[in-house]
Amino acid sequence: MSFGKAEADAELAAIDEVVRRVRQSRIYRVAGDIAMMWGGLQFLQFAVTMLLPGQTRDWSWLFVDALGVALTLAMLRRAGPPNPARLARALAAFALFYGFGALWAYGLFHFGGRELAVFWRTLFLFGYSLAGLWFGFGFLAIGLALTGLIFAVYLFAGAAFWPLVTVVTGCGYIVCGLWMRRA
Amino acid sequence: MSGGPDEIIHQPIRLRVMAALTAPGCDAEGLDFSQLKKLTGATDGNLGAHIDHLARAGYVETRKAFVARRPRTTVKATPEGRAAFGRHVAFLKEIIAGG
Repeated sequence: MSFGKAEADAELAAIDEVVRRVRQSRIYRVAGDIAMMWGGLQFLQFAVTMLLPGQTRDWSWLFVDALGVALTLAMLRRAGPPNPARLARALAAFALFYGFGALWAYGLFHFGGRELAVFWRTLFLFGYSLAGLWFGFGFLAIGLALTGLIFAVYLFAGAAFWPLVTVVTGCGYIVCGLWMRRA
Repeated sequence: MSGGPDEIIHQPIRLRVMAALTAPGCDAEGLDFSQLKKLTGATDGNLGAHIDHLARAGYVETRKAFVARRPRTTVKATPEGRAAFGRHVAFLKEIIAGG
């Protein structure tokens, strides 16, 4: 059988392409599960806010977010072979996002409740959008689409802001997560 | 130089199937039929025939199960299949290197 360089090159290119797609599919599957989990937490946060009294309610987001970060790290850990460096990077990314967000939201400016809700949600979606530049169009599409919807709710929802922003963010994450798992 | 191309893996669809099943990100339990269909761009019948071919050579094993009442076929590379794919890739790299 004759086998030339061009043929070998084409086969290696086909292998690289399949390996790249398997890797992307795995990233999308894990990211999809994580997005759906954060979508569920949006509803949990809303329920907790409705049920808890006074000041406890104002800080309840801290516990829900801490739960989300812990679950995200657990899902990343389960997703592949043990890789402490990857988990440390994920934890550092969360620390940077929360640190940067806290600096703006509480240090430099004093946002009201609605502005805070929009700011934190869109800050993390901005991270999603940036991730899209490396990990695929899906992240970019989710980041930009949900950011647009959340701003629309902020501008037009009026008294229905809190339930609507919960539904848009929660359902948005869940639908996008399902889409990523199937992509 | 390694002997030559693996005649079973050399076929484009089978090459893609083996590349997917031995990729670093592939689950230990393998990939299901629908994922392989997406990755290879093959039709159901065509992909099924190629997977049978690989299974007869001992390169993959298939497992059929029902998940949520729907049949699901999972395909996994065997150690022999991984070794054969490794040899095939080594052969390709030698060709490129001008060996």
